[in-house]
Amino acid sequence: MKLSNVISARFDKEGSTKLKGYREDGGYETFLKVLKEKRDPAQLIDEVKTSGLRGRGGAGFSTGMKWSFVPKDSPKPKYLCVNGDESEPGTFKDRQILEKDPHQLLEGVGLASYAIGAHTAYIYLRCEFKQGIATVQKAIRKAYEAGLFGKDIQGSGYDLDVHLTMGAGAYICGEETSLLNSIEGVRPYPRNKPPFPAVEGLFACPTIVNNVETISNIPHIIKNGADWHAKLGHAEDPGSRLWCVSGHVEKPGVYEAETGFKLQDLIDGPCGGIRGGKKLKAIIPGGSSSKVLLPDEVAQVTMDTPGIRAMGSSLGSAGIIVLDETTCMVDAVLNLMKFYAHESCGQCTPCREGTPWIVQILERIERGEGREVDLELIEDLASNIEGRTVCALADGACWPLVSIVKKFRHEFLAKIPAAARKEAVTA
Amino acid sequence: MIKLTIDGQEVEVEPGTTILEAARTLGTEVPHYCYHQDIGIDGNCRICLVEVNGNTDKLTISCKQPCGEGMDVKTESDAVVKARKGVMEFLLINHPLDCTICDQAGECPLQDYSYHYGSGDSRFVEQKRNKRKKVEFSDKVVFDGERCILCTRCTRFFEEVRDCRPIGVENMGGKSTITLGPNGPIEDPYQLNIVDICPVGALTSQDFRFKQRIWFMDFAETVCPGCAKGCNITAGAYQGKLLRFVPRRNPDVNKSWMCDDGRLSYDDYNITERTRGAKVAGADASFEEALAKIGELVGDGSGVAVLASTSDTCEELHAIRTWAGKVGVTHLWHGAETWEGDDFLKEEDATPNTAGAQRLGFTPVPTEAPSLRGLVVAGDCPVPPALLADLDFLVLQAPVAGELGEAAMVLLPGLTRVEKKGTWVNCLGHAQKVQPALEPGPGVREDWELWRDLAGEDWTTLKAVTRAMEAASGSSSDTPLVASES
Repeated sequence: MKLSNVISARFDKEGSTKLKGYREDGGYETFLKVLKEKRDPAQLIDEVKTSGLRGRGGAGFSTGMKWSFVPKDSPKPKYLCVNGDESEPGTFKDRQILEKDPHQLLEGVGLASYAIGAHTAYIYLRCEFKQGIATVQKAIRKAYEAGLFGKDIQGSGYDLDVHLTMGAGAYICGEETSLLNSIEGVRPYPRNKPPFPAVEGLFACPTIVNNVETISNIPHIIKNGADWHAKLGHAEDPGSRLWCVSGHVEKPGVYEAETGFKLQDLIDGPCGGIRGGKKLKAIIPGGSSSKVLLPDEVAQVTMDTPGIRAMGSSLGSAGIIVLDETTCMVDAVLNLMKFYAHESCGQCTPCREGTPWIVQILERIERGEGREVDLELIEDLASNIEGRTVCALADGACWPLVSIVKKFRHEFLAKIPAAARKEAVTA
Repeated sequence: MIKLTIDGQEVEVEPGTTILEAARTLGTEVPHYCYHQDIGIDGNCRICLVEVNGNTDKLTISCKQPCGEGMDVKTESDAVVKARKGVMEFLLINHPLDCTICDQAGECPLQDYSYHYGSGDSRFVEQKRNKRKKVEFSDKVVFDGERCILCTRCTRFFEEVRDCRPIGVENMGGKSTITLGPNGPIEDPYQLNIVDICPVGALTSQDFRFKQRIWFMDFAETVCPGCAKGCNITAGAYQGKLLRFVPRRNPDVNKSWMCDDGRLSYDDYNITERTRGAKVAGADASFEEALAKIGELVGDGSGVAVLASTSDTCEELHAIRTWAGKVGVTHLWHGAETWEGDDFLKEEDATPNTAGAQRLGFTPVPTEAPSLRGLVVAGDCPVPPALLADLDFLVLQAPVAGELGEAAMVLLPGLTRVEKKGTWVNCLGHAQKVQPALEPGPGVREDWELWRDLAGEDWTTLKAVTRAMEAASGSSSDTPLVASES
């Protein structure tokens, strides 16, 4: 198992957060070169498209494709919003970038803004990231002082203002349209799509919302070229990603690796195997909003979009949650569902009413008052939630839920009194 | 134009038309809660989901989705019906199901759709959620958080129609509820509209709540008599007593709204004491005797003026002016009543037919009125004291005579604004049909009949008056006097 170091290359350097050190390592050269040469923005978008970069926030949509949806002829201002509301359970990679190499992100902000024609960029960070907020705030100030942001950057004629904004602790604000509403200062309900933000986003203007890690990839792609990136990892989902491993491994943490590796190798190698020599029970591979994998699936799966799709799950935010044999899956899924019910914004009916109902059912099963019919009920309720709501929060709640109920049905049945089993009820 | 198929039927619509609107043109009403055609689209309730081009994984909200060329829409496919039943179930699990004591019962889409998409029994065996109940949003509106389905029509009404935010959503997820803002009770003078647009019984009117089950009430589709705007309303009465006015949609006049003052004016028309039968010089008389007396008093009409109320219908006013013309009365004046108007719907002119009276040749009372021998007051209107100064005689025809009745040589009964049938012309120039919401009871004749008899015309029906009026005044499409039949 080979680890890589594109995004994390400077993480452990002394003074990695400082502008001076970043520039000594060649930082901002790409941005300034682009400005000096007055590169054609359309060509930069093509470069990113050809690189094969997919969004690192969870949905995994082609970044260059997203950029190309910004209407060229719109007279409205365009905006870049960087999504640093990282709140997906099991995900803690953006935080590393914010706290350890903020200028890498800021150079990406400069390049992305230039490419899409934005003169204002917002970096939206979750409020609990106290250290990250302070670090990024300082980095922005230093960049302004060095003439890297502001009016007529280095005499190029290009203006760019970068603002730092913060959430107030809601998971939903990581949904891109909620994030826009949050920046606008209104209740952060997700918006119905279409229109997509690229056409009508922040303040009803064309807006690109990209994840922190996605934007941090941009300087490397522009510097090294699309072909360089396209050759990293899996051909259909190339790149080097930060993988967050949490749960029952000996060495949890953030590991950078090119896509396409075997999940089992990451667990057994860098992560040092399951803690205390215990056996693996399950892995939720892409942040909590993805379908659970069983040990035999873990043994086969490769960590790239086609590979994980073949196992019926998704890479999501690359939050790999490892559960060993001591885990009660009923307890685990109840814990997750409490999170989704708590974080449901309450805008649309199926999620607002459905997620707390499912929590109530699971709690009843936990108390030993479950019925076997509850398992079918849960699956049916999930089918009335998934794909029926404004945003993907509810889908993200249903995927781990249904997959865990299906794959660990025996654990649920074990908590259901014999009298409430189907045989007993129908007899 | 965009061509698409809805439930197998082809339909052509203007670009930008939503699926829900397109379905309506085919007579298909897609169920909806949060959608309201006079406030912005939100798309939160999810009951209007439809299937587009066979995609059952993701259904589409028909209230927001514009029609696309060649779309194949199904509004009642298996997937749609399952999703809709799911939404109904989700809305009902924590709903108190207290229809038996809920004012909305009988006009509640939650009830109506339950018949179509609800289930007779519940899969929900958990404890229902408790939320705040009987929250006074103001002295006009009460909120029940447990009945609320969070469609946010109420908050969006204030934001989008009234440009204010007295209420909003607080908390999140299942705990979400509508709450008063930091500035205290709602003060907006149009706030009772949120009671109408609330699709459930979460918002009730302090004035109407617990008064009557709506299925026992009688309704008249008519026009608000409160001001010159003529908002279209449905007047609701029970056993001869008005209990409420609610707005009736008219996109050209009031959309779906009306002001609270107009709405709450209904009780002004629940009069207990009124003029019944005719009086001459203070003594009971037959109608024939009273009319004969008027003829005698008016004589050749010189020095006599008619002061007609601007709440009289065009038909009544036509009968009055026909009589006046025949007996030589040339002063045709109309009364005036005002209240405080605003910049939305409420007009300063607090009468419903000033425009109609003016089209029929009535003029405001001149500031320097000529000295009069006699005054004939037709209908309910304040009489300027100066006109009464040196009169030989006063004829008063009004539902309630008041103090003036004692000075009247001839006193005749009349209809209140809510008992009239005919036409009012509003300040925008629309001729609108007025229907009686109450019956006047014994000893009161239709106003137009009184004036017809005086005029000696042979109109046997209101329709005949209408036709005569059209013929005499040349009612045109620019300045109509008669409401179109649509």
